[in-house]
Amino acid sequence: MPITSDHVGRSYPATPAYRVSRAKIAEFATALGDPNPAYFDETSPIAPPTFAAVIAAQAWGAVFEDPELGLALHRTIHADQRFDIVRPLREGDDVVARLTIEKVRNRGNTDMVTIAVALSTAEGEELGTATSQLIHTRPQEER
Amino acid sequence: MKPSDISVGIELPPLDLHLTRSDVVRYAGASTDFNPIHHSDRMARALGLPGVVVHGMWTMGAALRIVTDWVGDPALVTSYFARFTAPVAVPDDDTGTTVQVRARVVAVSDGVATIALEADHDGHKVLGAARAEVRLP
Repeated sequence: MPITSDHVGRSYPATPAYRVSRAKIAEFATALGDPNPAYFDETSPIAPPTFAAVIAAQAWGAVFEDPELGLALHRTIHADQRFDIVRPLREGDDVVARLTIEKVRNRGNTDMVTIAVALSTAEGEELGTATSQLIHTRPQEER
Repeated sequence: MKPSDISVGIELPPLDLHLTRSDVVRYAGASTDFNPIHHSDRMARALGLPGVVVHGMWTMGAALRIVTDWVGDPALVTSYFARFTAPVAVPDDDTGTTVQVRARVVAVSDGVATIALEADHDGHKVLGAARAEVRLP
């Protein structure tokens, strides 16, 4: 059975807390080629806005490991990405991610799945949401 | 930048993003996205790509610098959306390739400016409907 709109609203337990570190922020900003001083501040660096994807991606595992959905990462394309930011991630934040299936459309042998990953601190402070549309192609035998 | 300087139609200073294979590998490590289409020509071609392509999330993240350089403080960004419309192939040479980023203010309302971004590579649009919202400083 493929994923269908019946699965909309399904959510998964929070990922283990991810500790945002100065070294990881610097590594990520350098990889983007972005020398903005906010990312390299000596006392309180913030992470680039798209850093949230690093933590959200850890929550993605839940949908690919859910046997009921029949989704496989190697047949999946990342079609679009949205970030809604309450506040920037900072060095020292312990961030947990909760994934919810927000929208599913099936067309032919393609599944279009929107997943929303809510990020908060381990203490419960809301940090933002990373929402992605994934396009999944079902394997031959399920078409 | 003063809020009074910001109005609909303003073009932001353009930004060229240069990248080589080394940058793709660096982003794979930083983001922990090790999909082989980002480091193996063989695996990329098996999926119909011209060769190694950079992560769409790299293009999205690096392009946002046109906005954060302009407002100064990246903490002012409240939302950002982009569709990944075409892959950016990165040749295995010393020159690499370039993505051209342009942006302009398309709305200003309630202390929030909406900025539309365009990113082009090799004559193709690589980000679709890209929009960032920033709180005015």
